[in-house]
Amino acid sequence: MMPIWTKSGKKHAVTLLKVQDCHVLRYISKEESGGKTSKLLVGGKNASPFFKSESTMELFKEAGVPRKQKVTTFNVTDDAIIKPGTPLYAAHFRPGQVVDVTAKTIGKGFQGVMKRWGFKGQPASHGQTKTHRRPGAISTNKAAKVYRGKKMPGRMGNIYRTCYGLKVWRINTKHDIIYVNGSVPGHTNCLVKVKDSKLPSYKDCNKNPPFPTFFADGDEKLPEDLYDDEIFQFANPSVTYA
Amino acid sequence: CRISSDEKPAKFQPPPKPVIIDKQKQREERRFLSPEFIPPRERTDPLKFYMERKDMIQRRKVFNIPEFYVGSILAVTIANPYANEKTSRFVGICIQRGGKGLGATFVLRNVIEDQGVEIRYELYSPRIQAIEVLKLEKRLDDDLMYLRDALPEYSTFDVNMKPVSRLDHEEIPINTLQVRMKPKPWSKRWERPKYNIKGIKFELPEEKMKEAQKWNKPWLEFDMLRKYDTSKIEEEIWKEVSEELKK
Repeated sequence: MMPIWTKSGKKHAVTLLKVQDCHVLRYISKEESGGKTSKLLVGGKNASPFFKSESTMELFKEAGVPRKQKVTTFNVTDDAIIKPGTPLYAAHFRPGQVVDVTAKTIGKGFQGVMKRWGFKGQPASHGQTKTHRRPGAISTNKAAKVYRGKKMPGRMGNIYRTCYGLKVWRINTKHDIIYVNGSVPGHTNCLVKVKDSKLPSYKDCNKNPPFPTFFADGDEKLPEDLYDDEIFQFANPSVTYA
Repeated sequence: CRISSDEKPAKFQPPPKPVIIDKQKQREERRFLSPEFIPPRERTDPLKFYMERKDMIQRRKVFNIPEFYVGSILAVTIANPYANEKTSRFVGICIQRGGKGLGATFVLRNVIEDQGVEIRYELYSPRIQAIEVLKLEKRLDDDLMYLRDALPEYSTFDVNMKPVSRLDHEEIPINTLQVRMKPKPWSKRWERPKYNIKGIKFELPEEKMKEAQKWNKPWLEFDMLRKYDTSKIEEEIWKEVSEELKK
């Protein structure tokens, strides 16, 4: 995480996400998947081909791509289908776009009710006998049972969670890095899924994105750094107020 | 072999080697790498520190951030939308330098009209218009937070102070000032060995000083897992930064 300043002098915190060897693995049509739209399987970081069975490796052999550590699905419309085997780059996103980021949260292990669900617990003194961090009552008398889904101690973390509506401030095309506003679920160097935002207030934010994706061997030659309009770029002199 | 007057064989002592002092080399050897360039020992990708360093070097090319240490007196002007001339200037002694990378900060302390004022500035913030070093010197400690509990005369500095001139090749003077404190209670127990402060003249009785030594942890200095040797990293980063800044 890094600080970033706007032209008015305000500071925002920013997370750096690296796009490391992403390839499209397979196209699944609408009828095949049984959903409303067709799907594209995308693979992430490269990993070793050993330690895995042959059947799982078939997917990567078809696409002609080294084995990936993580495979995710994206629901795509028919005009945005990409041929399996094409690499995906950070320039697929542009500064000013709004993005949702999904990842597995940091695993906290078996945790008590105060940390896991934010219960208040009991006072530290004034006669409490061996009861300081316990849940207290778990149901009423009339119910005569404990409802399903009752908040109790258990394993916390290591589940997929999404942060919605994160603005993209800057993109580095040379190292394939996306600078995303705010914090992102997951520990440092964990695998993360970045999608266009589903929030209705940011529907019109994505103006002229590279469609279906940014192709590196195409005619477009982008500069090494793409900045949002409001960012203060360090090559400019200091900010002054008129 | 030679026998000395004690009738024992004398141990061979080699002649003393001539020591050549090259003054030009001494001048070049003094290099200062700002502490926020050295990355902390974490599991983050070194690429992240490289990107931060690129941004820091770009900012340094446009805006001059001078060399200063904890204990030097600085004057900082920042852009302030609510001030009369849209800029505000503050003079103070640097008591702490924190943070790594772009978020590096430093705290300046001064006593203005009998009120102690501390302001934390970000080194790479675009609102900073100028940083001038009025007096460049080091103190006996890396952290002068104890000035809050010292007598106010040690934290007062003239707002219209003139910069003290010094030659380039001179070594940075270390001010061995021992500060006198206000009567206890203090905000922190500065006499304890955890803070390892050398710049206070403790006027406490002997028993209090001995009692403070009970919290001494002499094994910490030999703990190998806590050691973070930054010499090699510093060398590489120094080469990178000096090459980029020369361009």
